[in-house]
Amino acid sequence: MQCVKLTTYFGERDRVDGRLLADELLAIYERRGVRLSTLFRGAEGFGRLHHLHTERLLTLSEDLPVIATALDSPERIEALLTDVLAIKRRGLMTLERALLLGAAADEQRSERRDTFANALAFAGGAGHGRKLTIQVGRRERVGNRPAFVAVCELLHERGLAGASVLLGVDGLREGRRTRARFIARNADVPMSIVAVGAAEPIAALVPELARILREPLITLERVRICKRDGELLEQPHALAAADEQGRAAWQKLTVYSSHDATHDGRSLHLEIVRRMRAGDAAGVTCVNGMWGFHGAHAPHGDRLLQLRRHVPVLTIAIDSPEKAARSFVLIDELTREHGLVTSEVVPAMQALSANELSAR
Amino acid sequence: MPDLDRREIAAIFLGGALGSLLRMWLGRTFATGAGDWPWATFTINVTGSFALAYFATRLQERLPRSIYRRPLLGTGFCGAYTTFSTMQVETLQMIDDDRYALAATYALTSVLAGLVAIWIATALVRRVRIIA
Amino acid sequence: MSVWTWLGVALLGGVGANARFLIDGLISARAGAALPFGTLVVNASGSLVLGLLTGVALSGDALVLAGTATLGSYTTFSTWMLETHRLGEDARARAALLNIAVGLAVGVAAAALGRTIGAHA
Repeated sequence: MQCVKLTTYFGERDRVDGRLLADELLAIYERRGVRLSTLFRGAEGFGRLHHLHTERLLTLSEDLPVIATALDSPERIEALLTDVLAIKRRGLMTLERALLLGAAADEQRSERRDTFANALAFAGGAGHGRKLTIQVGRRERVGNRPAFVAVCELLHERGLAGASVLLGVDGLREGRRTRARFIARNADVPMSIVAVGAAEPIAALVPELARILREPLITLERVRICKRDGELLEQPHALAAADEQGRAAWQKLTVYSSHDATHDGRSLHLEIVRRMRAGDAAGVTCVNGMWGFHGAHAPHGDRLLQLRRHVPVLTIAIDSPEKAARSFVLIDELTREHGLVTSEVVPAMQALSANELSAR
Repeated sequence: MPDLDRREIAAIFLGGALGSLLRMWLGRTFATGAGDWPWATFTINVTGSFALAYFATRLQERLPRSIYRRPLLGTGFCGAYTTFSTMQVETLQMIDDDRYALAATYALTSVLAGLVAIWIATALVRRVRIIA
Repeated sequence: MSVWTWLGVALLGGVGANARFLIDGLISARAGAALPFGTLVVNASGSLVLGLLTGVALSGDALVLAGTATLGSYTTFSTWMLETHRLGEDARARAALLNIAVGLAVGVAAAALGRTIGAHA
C-alpha cells in the first residue's frame, strides 16, 4: 500500500498547553487511527539555534531530541496534518513516500503474493538502494530467540549493507497504542529494525520476514547508499535547491556507526555532531540503537560486562542540498574506516505555524 | 536555561525532601563515632548511585519522557539522598587526625564502589536479551 | 530531634535540591559538555559552606538543618558518579579520571578553606 510517512523532529521538553508535544502528537495519531507510529528518543543533537543537547550530562540532558513518525495512506496523513500543524510550532517535519507491506489480520494469502510483487515493482531499476523498516515487539520472539536478533541475523546473512534496531518508547500499531510504562512488562512496545541494502536481496527478504514474524509490518523506502566500511560507493543525490514548482528541496544524510567507533581517537558520531555544529548545519540528531550491523562484521550490541558501549548509533542530518553536500565532505572524511552512509531526498517543511505551510 | 515548569520544581522539592529525610534517618540510626569509617555516608552514597543509574538510564532510554519522574527520582531524591559535602568533611576530619591512609582509602573506595554501582545498574537496565 | 526539626529537614532538603538544579543548570548551559562543571561547582561550593559551618562550630539542630539537611541535599555524590561513568562510556577516560580527581581535590580543599575562614571569623 502506498503510504506517506510523516516524521517530526523536536525537543522532548516542547509543550502544548502544558502537556508534552510528544504526548499530544501521539494522541492526535491515535484519535485519527494512524496505522503505524513510533516515538524515538535521541541521545544527542542540536537544532537551528545550535544549542547542544546531550545525554552525557544530567542537566544538559533536559531537552533531548525526539523523533516521531506516523505512517498511513496519503489521505489520512493529509487529514491529520492540520491538527499537527496547529500544535507544532518549532522544529522540522518531513513527508516521505513509503510502501507499507503489512499482513493485517484479514489479509489473504494471495495478497501476500501481491505484496512480494509490489516490493519488486517498487524496487524499480537495479543499483538503487532500499531502506526496509521492520516493526517487532520488544519481547517478540522468533523460535527461541528475541525477534530482533533473529531478523538481524537473517538480514546479515543475505548480505544487506546494514541494519540497526531502534527502541521505540511509544507508538501506534494498527490503531493500538503501545506506550512503554514505568511499571509494566512493556512487551508490545515497538522496536524498529532499520535495514539498508540493494533492491534485489531486500525484495527477496520481504516474504521471508512476513513468514517468520507474528504480525509483520514492513515499510520500504528508496535510499542511495553512499559509503560502507570506508569505501565510497556513490555520491549523495545532487539536487537543485528547489523543484520546478519552486518548493525547497531537502536532503537527509544518515550515518550508521558503532558507538565505539573512533576517528583520530575521538568518538565518531560525537565528532560528526561537533564539527557540524561548528559549521552551519541546520540540525543533527543522534539516536542510539540496541543491536545491529553496518558493515561486514556480525550484528552486535551492548555486552553485560563492558566499559564502552557497542550499540549502533544513527546520526541524522537534514539540510538543503547545498549544505548537505558540504556536510558530506565532512562525513566522508570522518568515515574513512567505519560507517554506513546513506542519502535520501525528503520534501521538508520547517513548521512555524499553520499559515506558513511552505512545502509539501 | 530551559523554561522551568512548576511541576518539575515541585517534583524536585518532594524528591529532595524524601531523600534528605531518608539520609537523615539512616545517618542517625547507623551513626558512627568521629574518626571511624563513616558507614552511613558510604552506604548511602553507594546505594544512591545505584538507584540514580537505574532511574536515569531507564527513564532516559526505555520510557517516554515524563514531566515529573526524573526530577522526582533523579535530581530530587537521589541527588538529595546522596551527599558530597558530608563526605568531604569526613575526609577532612581524617586528614586532621593524621590518618592519611584512611582518608585516601575512604575517598577512593567511595568513588570505586559508586562507579561499580552505576555500572551494574546501567548494565541491568540495558541488558539486551531481555529488555523492559 | 523534634518534629519541627524533621519538618525542617524535609523542607530544606527540597530547597537544597532545587538550588542544585538551578545552579547546575545555569553553569552547564554556559560551560559546555567537556566536563560536568555544573556538578563540580555545586559540590565545591557546598563543601566550602559546610566547612564554614564546621569552622564556626555550629552545632545541634542548627548544624543539622543548615549542614546535613540543606548542604547534604544541595551537594550530590550520585550525579557526580553517573556523569563520570558516562564520560568513560564515551571513550573519554582521561576526562572521567579528571572529573574524579578534580572533584575530590577541590572538594576537600574547599571544605578546608571554608573551615579555616569559619574558625577565624
